[in-house]
Amino acid sequence: MARTLMRFTGVGGQGVLLAGEIFAAAKIKSGGHGLKTATYTSQVRGGPTVVDISLDDEEIFYPYANDGEINFMLSVAQMSYVLFKSGVRKGGTIVIDPNLVSPTKEDRETWNIVDIPIITIAKEEVGNVITQSVVALAIANTMMNAIDKQQLIDVMLSKVPAKVHDVNKIAYELGEKYAKEAMA
Amino acid sequence: MATREVISTGNELSAMAGVDAGCTFFGGYPLTPSSEVMHVISDLLPKVGGTCIQMEDEIGAICAVIGAGMAGSRTMTGTSGPGMSLKAENLGLAQMAEVPLVCVNVMRGGPSTGLPTRVSQGDIKQASNPSHGDYRSITLCAGNLAECYTETVRAFNLADRFMQPVIVLLDETIGHMHGKADIPTVEDVKTGIVPRKSFDGPAEEYFPYECNATQPAVLNPMFKGYRYHFTGLHHDKNGFPTEEIETCRKLIQRLEDKVMAHQDELELNEEFMCDDLTGEEGEVLIIAYGSVSLAAKEAIRHLRADGIKAGLFRPITIWPSPAKRIKEMTDKIKNVLVVELNIRQYTDEIERASGRLDLEGLYKVNGRAISPHEITSKVKEVF
Repeated sequence: MARTLMRFTGVGGQGVLLAGEIFAAAKIKSGGHGLKTATYTSQVRGGPTVVDISLDDEEIFYPYANDGEINFMLSVAQMSYVLFKSGVRKGGTIVIDPNLVSPTKEDRETWNIVDIPIITIAKEEVGNVITQSVVALAIANTMMNAIDKQQLIDVMLSKVPAKVHDVNKIAYELGEKYAKEAMA
Repeated sequence: MATREVISTGNELSAMAGVDAGCTFFGGYPLTPSSEVMHVISDLLPKVGGTCIQMEDEIGAICAVIGAGMAGSRTMTGTSGPGMSLKAENLGLAQMAEVPLVCVNVMRGGPSTGLPTRVSQGDIKQASNPSHGDYRSITLCAGNLAECYTETVRAFNLADRFMQPVIVLLDETIGHMHGKADIPTVEDVKTGIVPRKSFDGPAEEYFPYECNATQPAVLNPMFKGYRYHFTGLHHDKNGFPTEEIETCRKLIQRLEDKVMAHQDELELNEEFMCDDLTGEEGEVLIIAYGSVSLAAKEAIRHLRADGIKAGLFRPITIWPSPAKRIKEMTDKIKNVLVVELNIRQYTDEIERASGRLDLEGLYKVNGRAISPHEITSKVKEVF
């Protein structure tokens, strides 16, 4: 496979870092190579955060996603969306939470922008806002067809406390459902 | 050698390496982007009977580490650039009194508080002489996740061999990147531990600083019946202050020679895709270290796909520098590009070693990584 480059953006404290770690670990466990890097500001909560995920069957050296080559971005904060959208290749997919991010008309012409209310799904349908990163994980994996679903879920469950396994499984299924609807 | 696969970050691997290499004491003060080194080791050390203490600041941290080192423990501290500046005076004390310790510095933008969460290689020159006076720093620089582990392990063995601080340089990118590392098994690491030398003769015949001109002091652990005086002043064979001319000269000359006479035990480089570089016109040698070498490797793949024969020379022991090997490589290959996340800090050393002033450089100091694309563009622009 060619290298898959994904970027999750938000603000500090939203849990986007963990989603990146899960992706990289799941790819490695399925015999490939995965790297996650995160950049954040010294403003730990509330500052723009970006997580780059690189997945490849061959060894990856440079851990960041090259700007202009990113296949997929997911954003749940306007400030981060504006800062990091230019890294996505023209025609690439950007999933946004429409309650938090407002793309311009030109943006919608440049990229395949998909509106999914990630936070609302986590908060109201799953019933736990913390699960937003797993909803995001499911959306990214479904749209990019990056990793075997069960492998990704197994790694995800290994990284969250047992008492929240069930809600996170629900979050994954809901994320997948919304992604499939958006792709239909 | 057997290896094991670990999925982790550079900072976490460095902490794990400390524990596996026999570190029993960590004194620290958390500082971005090194904090996870202390965070992780504070969890691991008590489980193996060790101690991790958060001191009041970075100065207290290195002082605690020196004390534990005098008591015979393998010791470690971790910090970033501003913490290195604070530790400088006591790193000098450890050089002068010959106390082994490992100091991990995860580099961020500087000077001063700089860019706390951003990557830099701005501490290269500082690592060569963090404190005033004459001594030879031993500095290792990890260039991938596995080396965050292996170079930390090597640092512990070198610290005990040479009886002085050993600095391990990571940078924010390597420290925080999360991925796969194939590292040696704990058994292999334990087997490779060479404990520091000790004197086991009669206590009245123990003179810790009376040693061969190219060998380190032999410091027996305190509180075990062997006494010596501990000072940062010039000292005699017992450690007592002296101004006797020849004793003073010999002491400082020995601090230099104990390292430089044994450079073969220290030198470690990687030569990536250099095998087919013969010195023909058009060949390109990139010199880079730390996380920048990852971008350089990716750039070399692209350059070779475009028909440009390029290779990477990467020093892993950066101080003392591999001056002879740099000279051999730069004598052979005309087109040399040095890539650093600072302004010429190692280029100056490469110029000295190579005797060449026509090296090209690519430097960046805005806290962002250098991308493979920037390196390939620079190569195509200047050669």
